[in-house]
Amino acid sequence: MKNMKFKIPAFLILIAFSISNSCFALKALDDISLSAVQAQSGLTIDQSQLLNIGSLSYTDDGNDLTIEGLRFSSQDDINEVSQLTYTMDVSADGTLRVETDVKPTQMHIDGIRINNSMASFGDLTLNYEAVTNFNIKGMTGGGLEGSFTVGISNADLIWKTNGYAMSFDNIGYNASVDSLTLEYDAIDNTKGFTRTGLDIGMDNFDFSFSTGALSLEGVSLGELSGALALSATAQVFAGGRSSDQGLTLHYQATILSDPNNYVRFTDDGNSLFMGDFSGEINLTNLTLDVETDYLAIGFDQLEGSLNAGKILIDDGAGNSDSLKSIGSIELDFTLNDYIDADDSNDNRYNRFQLAPGITRPDFDAMPDQIKIYAENFYNYKSLLIPVGQSNSGQPNLAAEGLSLATQWNLANAELSYIDDTRRVVFSGIKSFGSANTTIDVRDEKLAIGISDLKGSYSIDGLRVGNENAPLQGGAELLLSIEVFQAMDFDIDGYTEITAGGASGGGIRIDGDYFFSDTTIGLSIDEHGEGIWATGVNYDIHLRDITFDVEGDGLKINRGEQWSTMDIANLRWGDKKTGTSLGRIKLERFEQNSLLAIYPGGAGQVCVGGSLNMDGDGCSGVGRFEDRGEQGITVSLRAAFADEGVTSDGTATARNRLTWENNRKESLVAGEYDNDSGTQIIFNNFSTNDGTGSSDSNVHGFQANLNIDVYETKVLKKTPNADGKFEELIYDTDARDTYKYVLSPNAAQKALRPLGFAVQGHITFKELIIDEVQLVHANARTTPQTVFYGVVMQNLDLTTNLTATPIQ
Amino acid sequence: MKIIITVLSLFYLQAVLALEPLGENEMDQILGLGGVYLSGDLTINDVGGPLNESGAEPGDAWQQDCAASTNERCGARIAVRTNNTSGWIVLDNLRGRFSFEGLTLKTRLIDSGFDNDGASSSDGASFDRDVFEIGLPNTMNFSNVSYTLANSNKARPTEVGFKQTDIFNVKIDGNVSLSGNLLLFPTGNP
Repeated sequence: MKNMKFKIPAFLILIAFSISNSCFALKALDDISLSAVQAQSGLTIDQSQLLNIGSLSYTDDGNDLTIEGLRFSSQDDINEVSQLTYTMDVSADGTLRVETDVKPTQMHIDGIRINNSMASFGDLTLNYEAVTNFNIKGMTGGGLEGSFTVGISNADLIWKTNGYAMSFDNIGYNASVDSLTLEYDAIDNTKGFTRTGLDIGMDNFDFSFSTGALSLEGVSLGELSGALALSATAQVFAGGRSSDQGLTLHYQATILSDPNNYVRFTDDGNSLFMGDFSGEINLTNLTLDVETDYLAIGFDQLEGSLNAGKILIDDGAGNSDSLKSIGSIELDFTLNDYIDADDSNDNRYNRFQLAPGITRPDFDAMPDQIKIYAENFYNYKSLLIPVGQSNSGQPNLAAEGLSLATQWNLANAELSYIDDTRRVVFSGIKSFGSANTTIDVRDEKLAIGISDLKGSYSIDGLRVGNENAPLQGGAELLLSIEVFQAMDFDIDGYTEITAGGASGGGIRIDGDYFFSDTTIGLSIDEHGEGIWATGVNYDIHLRDITFDVEGDGLKINRGEQWSTMDIANLRWGDKKTGTSLGRIKLERFEQNSLLAIYPGGAGQVCVGGSLNMDGDGCSGVGRFEDRGEQGITVSLRAAFADEGVTSDGTATARNRLTWENNRKESLVAGEYDNDSGTQIIFNNFSTNDGTGSSDSNVHGFQANLNIDVYETKVLKKTPNADGKFEELIYDTDARDTYKYVLSPNAAQKALRPLGFAVQGHITFKELIIDEVQLVHANARTTPQTVFYGVVMQNLDLTTNLTATPIQ
Repeated sequence: MKIIITVLSLFYLQAVLALEPLGENEMDQILGLGGVYLSGDLTINDVGGPLNESGAEPGDAWQQDCAASTNERCGARIAVRTNNTSGWIVLDNLRGRFSFEGLTLKTRLIDSGFDNDGASSSDGASFDRDVFEIGLPNTMNFSNVSYTLANSNKARPTEVGFKQTDIFNVKIDGNVSLSGNLLLFPTGNP
């Protein structure tokens, strides 16, 4: 059969979707199942197939989603048949048993288009072999029930755009459902009328997957594997969001609490492991519609929880080198649509529009700081009309890829981090916004362009001890990892991901990003009052940034990075009307910096003194603390480079801090003109290995931070009648009431306030500032030099600080 | 790390920012949720710095065993040049441990209080603005804190012809009482 053209109605797709699980699977029959099989001979069908379908269209409201060039063939020769065998039998209870054995087969799609669009999503190839076992029988009162197993092996999934490929190699997938039910009795009233649909139940759905390598042009990004057990129900209805055609789905799933649930990312034999999953998901009104030039996906609400009881880095076989764990996390979240009764401009949705091809952003509407980088990103050779064709070098409207327009509204999330049973909750996480994204594969790179990423996020505060503890401040603690408490952002960013880290597999990133007129909350309360950085323009350029999982941790090598954060106003109070400290501009230029994250925190610590030889107490003065095995260690090496031209030649970069005030007020009330006031400039600061800027810069500025959640000794500000300072001790584990105690006993010490305990070790061999200058508004070209050089050498600073959120 | 830097900066900020003690009544007026309570210690060059580590070139001015040494090359060093043609002012051999309990960092609105316990009109009401408050720990312990103030003809002790004249040495042990709050807020034309 060659080059047939089919046009199929939506309901056939729906049916195909509902029974697709039966097309795969394999599991050995147990004795009980075998004993139910009668002696009848059954039926065996050997099929040789070579199937070529010219185009296959799914039509929704007159719009076509077309699969072009669908082919099933042998893997070795696309003109040869593939083999599959069906073995069918009927058992005494009327169960139809179908065992399918699929020999190595290739499924290929030339392209997927919407309404004959010039561009397609790219071509897809799936090589696979499979054995499935499917049992089904009628239910009393209608419907079908049964079970199935699936075993897919030696599979490769290849996505190609414009001739370049990304592949998931050597995929293995095994799944089984103990009890599957299909009934046509689901009722839905969410659209203002009643409709009936398919009700699907899956009890104890176990699956595991592995992929030998996720590769770009044959180079591995790393390997991924996992296992999950869940029970789920789904209700499927005809009719989408925009009309009575399309598809609607409700879905409810419970991730069964099973210590064998896990996800593992492996790079060069070392793994980042998350396991002991549990949780649940409730999805309402997931809709699928084909529109004029895009596929529309949206949902009304997605709420659920996800708990990972174990996070660690191991050797890929479940053996942790250090036997230390990062701890565990618990996430509760609700994404839903929000309709503002007063102003529809404030409505927020969760919607995705997938369009074939590459939708270019409006370069002329972009800030100058990112425009040239955006143009270079989209003028990549694979996205242009090839040489030799008319209009060569112009944008190729037929270039393959994926364009995605996204809207989201995270109504609320609560994220708990648990370290040795001690819990900190980042509470009231909210976010909404929209973005336009393009994805394509080019040469050996995966290219992701994000334009007009506009939105907002905020964190209400922290709860410590338990989920219901009073809301406290302290989200400022996240500043240490450059996570801000709140942000209104407008970001354009262009990223190229290459396979291969600093060693072997891994991920390498090059990217250019620009934050326009962004507002950042540095330290704010629940009323939005505090310290704000407003009117922030922040451009960041990353080159040769590599991510590797190594035996002892996650390593991020930062080959080259330069950035400018220009804060128009650092405001106290309200983010719009608060009093401004002036303008602060921080320029950074780093080469060969490193960030590493290791499992495990500080362990045994002597605060205010030194540990003894055995590590189980202080040698002399100090307060001994055993902060347990879990926690996080962050190791930073920032090699601040001397002023110079960046490796790509696009900029001259340096490290410089400028504070400007006494500026002229601009035409916009409350705003000020930059470079119109008085500035103090710390010019060209850099690190080196001890003999000046001509020396090597291997050591840089190093900071090793061991981070734990631990009890803190919090003293009352004022002394008691005896002139002594009492400690704050909570009354119970609920941590909602407290008292002051002069000398707490062991039980009371366990009820001390919890906080982030940070053991830090900061070193540099040499940090120099070329000059400190003053620039007067009336003499901008002749700055006055305050210091003609500052040379700081040989610093080794250790800290034991515990930071506790306070009310 | 920014917190640590912030704490470090306090030692420089004390001279330039206003210091005012808050009584219990004023503390009761604190609004909002923001805030961090810090306690712990900071230790500088307890066993020397990275330039003292083994592996330095033989004859290197920094090559020292600093575990139990008071050699001036075991501490941290800051050299500042205030004139383009002259020498350097040096804070040398900086070492020691500072420990404290109860340094607080928070933002708050002051719109009441500061009225001499009701005996006078409220300065807080007329002030009526947000501040970043650094609540000082009541006591800070200094242990083996030392430094040297000096003049030097070169920025680095490894440079050819290096000469340095020590002006005085300081060593501090004991407790220092630090009460009240530092309030940071913008004034003037931004």
